[in-house]
Amino acid sequence: MKAPMSISAITTEGLAKTYTSAFGRKQIHALKGIDLNVAPGEIVGILGPNGAGKTTLLKILLGIVSPTAGSATLMGRPIGEVAARRKLGYLPENHRFPPYLTARQTLDVYGRLSHLDSDYRKLHIPRLVEEAGLSSWIDTRVGKFSKGMMQRLGLAQALLNDPDILVLDEPTDGVDPVGRREIRDRLRDLRAKGKTILINSHLLTEIELICDRVAIMNFGEIVRTGSVLEISSEGTGWRIQCRNVPVNLDLEAFHTHREGSALSVDADAEHTLLLDVGVAEALNALIDHLRAHQVQILSVERHRRSLEAGFLDIIDQQTAKS
Amino acid sequence: MKASEQPLRLSSAESRTALSGSLLLTFRELWAMRLTQGIVLVSTLAWIMLSFALNLDVVEGSISALRIFGVGSLPQEMVKDAATGEWVRQAMSVDAFVISISSFVFGAAYFLGTLLGLFATMPLIGGFLEQGRIDLMISKPVSRSGLLTGHLLGVWLTVLALATYLIGAVWIAISIKTGVWLPVMLLSIPLIVVMFGVMYSVILCVSIMTRSNGLALILTYGLIFISAILAAHEQLVPVLSPSALFIFKTFYHVFPNFVEVVMIQSKLLSGEAVASWYPFFSSILFGSVIYGLGYYWFNRRDF
Repeated sequence: MKAPMSISAITTEGLAKTYTSAFGRKQIHALKGIDLNVAPGEIVGILGPNGAGKTTLLKILLGIVSPTAGSATLMGRPIGEVAARRKLGYLPENHRFPPYLTARQTLDVYGRLSHLDSDYRKLHIPRLVEEAGLSSWIDTRVGKFSKGMMQRLGLAQALLNDPDILVLDEPTDGVDPVGRREIRDRLRDLRAKGKTILINSHLLTEIELICDRVAIMNFGEIVRTGSVLEISSEGTGWRIQCRNVPVNLDLEAFHTHREGSALSVDADAEHTLLLDVGVAEALNALIDHLRAHQVQILSVERHRRSLEAGFLDIIDQQTAKS
Repeated sequence: MKASEQPLRLSSAESRTALSGSLLLTFRELWAMRLTQGIVLVSTLAWIMLSFALNLDVVEGSISALRIFGVGSLPQEMVKDAATGEWVRQAMSVDAFVISISSFVFGAAYFLGTLLGLFATMPLIGGFLEQGRIDLMISKPVSRSGLLTGHLLGVWLTVLALATYLIGAVWIAISIKTGVWLPVMLLSIPLIVVMFGVMYSVILCVSIMTRSNGLALILTYGLIFISAILAAHEQLVPVLSPSALFIFKTFYHVFPNFVEVVMIQSKLLSGEAVASWYPFFSSILFGSVIYGLGYYWFNRRDF
């Protein structure tokens, strides 16, 4: 059953984790006060370079790692409670299913650990295996599975208890492009059913295609959250396509001359202007200026980079500050 | 039902289902390791040999002839002549023969079974704690103690089943063959299971604390070796210096007395009174404390 909208699916407040070496000689601050809210039905991507604390954050939410400070809830339940994990599905990075089990036995064991009764398991295990495209392998030992097949079986395992929250650590790792598309479609279906999904992935193109929102982590902190559009548009300008631009029209006043920016005017009759970012007010002023000179505006669109370019820019800025 | 309205505690049926998952995983892994099949095969060979390849001729309670695979032998024993007080050799009584066979089977099962069992189950705890598997199990709505209990129960029940099969089958075969029913031999089963459990506590606790199965096995075998020295306490105590005696006694009371427990069973089999069960119970206490530490660490550590 879908949780009421008033309850955040996932909430963390000041979540911190410090790893201390033997005898306390060295401390590593893996997480430094993470505040995150994920609404029910949202797909949120956790991005960050290696060592940013992404996996630690996921593991704390799943009860695998204990936080040093702060608190977190899943569907309103403190993460320390076993019952908080009743409607949780998890696909770990580099999961290791016992190689001597068949796909059916694997799901049966993990179904039992999720308290699913015999009738439920008998009904849903073949269905999930079929959805994972592994029907003809259902009674084959998973030791013979390829990485991609293991990953698809892992996703079936995560969906076994019909979870409200799905936590996926590198879900498309080792999966071929066709398999990746299938997983993406699957995740979109789950979103349509109101499932909350938290994804940690290095494949930013995947995140870009699936996620509603991303949280970028670096050095144990969330340095930026926002929609994929916001992150990929940050630091860019607007593209204005127009017609009948007078040759002597002075546009230089609208150019902010920031490093790497440009205000270009094509020589054609149909001009494309690229206005620098950070001047949202200037965009409107420019439009007014163009309209005052009878320039026909055909379109105004936010010039987007890839999520990867936006992500790298944010990380570079943050690293430079640190 | 809303997620936040679901009961805080798991129902007993849910707990049983989860426990069955953990148990099943352990059983399947042990079966996949071929260890159980190996022990079942050896046990089967043992009772088949005793049932079909062993032939006894008994005259007035003593063995007059013994043939194994048709090869003849005449087992003898030394007894004190009541009249002269001298030790003389005579044909072995059936009772003494049954006690000898039982002691041999118990000793083999106890030492070989435990040593091989510990060696074979070492990868089991390694697999259980493996990254990518343990974290997935912990993410399930099962308490960590529940997961560990399922693993331990799986190991103990397997050892119980194997020990029961070996000792039980051999006991029935010998008893039918000789007509001498020595129920005390069946005490070997709990002794083997309990002492295996005591030594497995070290494997479990050290593996959880250090994630080094090799170190866990070395320490466990080290304790078994030390227990062999501790078993000679009656001979060693009189010759030790006060400081060495203090260390020796500390070890004797703290560490498991794995080897000395064999002597308890030998006395039980031969009908002698057991002077002290202390080695057995102190070993259980050691195992309980180590299991407690193992549970404590397993519940606390990050994976």
